[in-house]
Amino acid sequence: MSLIEVKNVYYAYNENSVAIDDVSFSLEEGTYTTVIGHNGSGKSTLAKMIAGLLEIQKGSITINGLAVNAENIARIRRDLGIVFQNPDNQFIGSTVRDDIAFGLENKLVAVENTERIIEEYAAKVGLSDHLDYEPQNLSGGQKQRVAIAGIMAMKPKIIIFDEATSMLDPKGKKEIKQLMYQLAEEEITVISITHDIEEVMQSDNCIVLNKGKLFMQDKPEKVFADAEKLRKINLDIPFVMQVKEVFRNKKIKLKANDLKGMAEELWRLNSKR
Amino acid sequence: MNNLVFGKYIPIDSFMHRLDPRAKLIGLFVMIFAIFLPKSWWAFLAIGVLVLLALISAKIGIRMIVQSFKPMIMMMIFLLVINALTVKTGDILFTYGTFALYSDALYNTLFVIVRLLLMISLTTLLTATTKPLDLTLAIEWLLKPLEIVKFPTYEVALMVSIALRFIPTIIEETIRIMNAQKSRGVDFENGNLSSKISSILSLIVPLFSVAFERAYELADAMEARGYVPGAERTRYHILRFHLRDFFYIFICIAALAFSIFTRIYL
Repeated sequence: MSLIEVKNVYYAYNENSVAIDDVSFSLEEGTYTTVIGHNGSGKSTLAKMIAGLLEIQKGSITINGLAVNAENIARIRRDLGIVFQNPDNQFIGSTVRDDIAFGLENKLVAVENTERIIEEYAAKVGLSDHLDYEPQNLSGGQKQRVAIAGIMAMKPKIIIFDEATSMLDPKGKKEIKQLMYQLAEEEITVISITHDIEEVMQSDNCIVLNKGKLFMQDKPEKVFADAEKLRKINLDIPFVMQVKEVFRNKKIKLKANDLKGMAEELWRLNSKR
Repeated sequence: MNNLVFGKYIPIDSFMHRLDPRAKLIGLFVMIFAIFLPKSWWAFLAIGVLVLLALISAKIGIRMIVQSFKPMIMMMIFLLVINALTVKTGDILFTYGTFALYSDALYNTLFVIVRLLLMISLTTLLTATTKPLDLTLAIEWLLKPLEIVKFPTYEVALMVSIALRFIPTIIEETIRIMNAQKSRGVDFENGNLSSKISSILSLIVPLFSVAFERAYELADAMEARGYVPGAERTRYHILRFHLRDFFYIFICIAALAFSIFTRIYL
């Protein structure tokens, strides 16, 4: 059985705005999944439903065999964390230390261990020297790192990133993405809602939502291989995939899915001729 | 703008900083009585020396205390004028036409001023040496007895600490909205009353809408990290009384005893 199973879920904020309409998919443990789609395509709604922050109106979601509902939610939240978009609105404690402690207090971690855990995870996100900083003295990227540390400290199996890098400057974005890839290597199941096409190319699995419906779900290179289909819903195609398409039209097949590999392939191609 | 919000915390290490916030809060309450009871200068002298010692042990510098007096200067002058015009007892110090300044007017004013200065020094001392969060914990502890009547002390303390944490964020937001509105031609400084009200509205409406949005998102973030209102939680911050805290409270009570003594016998 898959770690996360979403079956025919439906959510409407009111009669005129159906956010999620009959979406089904399943995600395996330890995979890195990106969710893309335009604003208003239902990405955040879907994330909130998985995290149990919005009630599922129709259909069902099971996580680790447990149905997401009011009864199981406390149990499920021990395995699942979510990092939101706005760095300021998820900083609960008055200092970095207190913020990481917040989740541990909820998890009833013994006080003797709290300090050690806080220091361990602050070090993991590179904020060991900032433990007593207040949020107003941290950059957006640092605040997001605190949020990630706070969630990692609770040792979840799944972490959802709801456009966690969209309000950050390029440096902050890079740092957070680095951390996300690192999580994936630690066998944590990552679901990342993103507009960052390069990040999508790095993921194992890509879900495309359009107007609340599941438009595609596949490996990113397969999703982007059908460029025409994506253009129909006005989604960007990564540069590498665009180059591939041009060559495909000239009956030349390229294998690489990243810039470096493509450069390698292209100069070899040139020297063969 | 940050300085206006709360007596500012000075992040250094000192005897006063290390005291348990509960001891400091109890000490403050005791000292309020010690300051307002006596009518003898001896009591004020004794309390004044104690306050000075506390200030020195807190290492926060006289300058900050003097700064905190500044807003009071106008009030003190006003007090003196009122007393000079109304108090007609004691010796006449000097006369000017039909006006006579009596010694009691001067004494009364001085008493009030000394009391106020001592009070301000003590509260500044408290806020400068205690983190807002610790103060919240101390207040929560003092409210504990109310739990008998189902008063949610823990939730209230959490609320207060979140409110304190968001003050700088909201101030930042206010400045940002003001700048945005200024760039659209809203004038916050000039104009008559009605145009001023409408320009303030252009600040308040977006400020509230953003604040509510923040509140929703924060609630989601708290829930996502396993917070259930009213549920059991472990506590990362645990306050512990030390010998020095009892020593501090003892001194405050001694000061109160002395001021009661002077009130009765001097």
